[in-house]
Amino acid sequence: MFNALRTEQLIAGIGSVGRAAATASGPPDEYARGQLLSAYSVSRLLAAEVSAEADLLGWLRGELSAALAEHPEDPAAAAALPQIESATESGAIGDALVDLLADLRTREDGGSDLRRRLHGILREMAERELIALAARPEGAKR
Amino acid sequence: MSEIDPARAAAALETLRSVDAAGSRAEVVGLTQMEGGWSRHTYAIDVEDPDREGLARYIGRVRPDDSVLDTDLGQEFEIYRILEDEPVPAPRVYGYEPSEDTPFGGPYFLMERISGEGLNVWRRPDRELLEADWAGGRGIAEDFVDGMAAIHQVDPAKLSGVVVERDFRATVARWRDIYEDVRLVSDPVVEEAYAWLLDNPPAPVTPRLVHGDYRIGNCLVDGGHMTGVLDWELAFIGDPRFDLGYMSLPYSAGRFVSPDTQSPLTGAVADRDWLDRRYEAATGEPVDRAVVDQYAALGALMLFSIMGTGLTLYAAGESTDIRAAWSRFVFPGLRADLAALMGW
Repeated sequence: MFNALRTEQLIAGIGSVGRAAATASGPPDEYARGQLLSAYSVSRLLAAEVSAEADLLGWLRGELSAALAEHPEDPAAAAALPQIESATESGAIGDALVDLLADLRTREDGGSDLRRRLHGILREMAERELIALAARPEGAKR
Repeated sequence: MSEIDPARAAAALETLRSVDAAGSRAEVVGLTQMEGGWSRHTYAIDVEDPDREGLARYIGRVRPDDSVLDTDLGQEFEIYRILEDEPVPAPRVYGYEPSEDTPFGGPYFLMERISGEGLNVWRRPDRELLEADWAGGRGIAEDFVDGMAAIHQVDPAKLSGVVVERDFRATVARWRDIYEDVRLVSDPVVEEAYAWLLDNPPAPVTPRLVHGDYRIGNCLVDGGHMTGVLDWELAFIGDPRFDLGYMSLPYSAGRFVSPDTQSPLTGAVADRDWLDRRYEAATGEPVDRAVVDQYAALGALMLFSIMGTGLTLYAAGESTDIRAAWSRFVFPGLRADLAALMGW
């Protein structure tokens, strides 16, 4: 969630490391070996992420939408709700949440109830994402 | 063995000769780039000098163009030089070349290659080595805490004009500014964490030398003891509890995406209560766990900024280091850590 590099950028990066290894002269030094192992790690993590991405995004959108729908009188929540409901990627959800949470922080009570609820959803999001990334991609032997 | 780059070898020899560490007949017999280093490239350099005894082993620390942090290599060199007279285990340095235009691709300095291996807590054998130390002699665990205490007891006046002083708010501002400069996406967990820290500043303590990246992975270990503390580029004068907090992050104990990779030991080194008590005994300063947790959160935010810088450089095509892309997968764990530290 809220990822800075897109899937296609990562795939291209993995390919670049492979190409550099294939065209290098002589055996790889410690740095080159580290690059290859990191590329392997990225490929595994990316496979796990891609497998889980749609479900995780759907879960996050659903939880946030339900939480915001309980505060129809709150203008900031009401403004964020359609942005989150229509989001097709996590970046748009992140943008909406950052604005909403910043607004809630300015309230006298710190936007306590809704803010706490959002915090709980974000905590669970991180935990779910970790579980997803730790899963062994189907077909991967190692 | 990779071929020795003649331009780099010549530059290294010139630097060593400038401080009388090598003679006219000295020759570089080994020069390879090492694995580590996010914002520094590291080279192992071996020199044979018929006019001096034995093989001299050096490390070249280079600040490359695609460094993930705009930190001053000259400052890092000066810190090592000052530490030569302090009871902090650190390698001796031999010459600093400040020019951007060098065969290493940036400014560099040379330092002695002291005995020991850098441990990688994300690798099981290294975690097991540390767990065996904790279960057995505890030489590494004791040295790790004592080393941190020794750093915090260096007289900050000796570093005046060399190391920048930052209080809590300035430290928060440093990492927040970088986050805002480099972020490619908005992160609501990170932004809430910054707000939480600024709303809850800890009471200040006497400023001390802070390593800024103190974890076992930045230390060398040999024969059941710690032989050196490396990677001083993030050092500052400020609240020493930063080091305690950063070291206590699950990340510093090997947590990545699976709890299976996290050592049960704090920092992958020691039980946390034991660690706190030993630090208190060594420094005479009580450890306030709540404040340490705040600094743990700040340490996590620092990682967001450092790795975010790497991601931005990578996305812009200014770095080809695939580890920058890999670090994107560290963020979910850091978000989970921040959520726990903030009591979410």
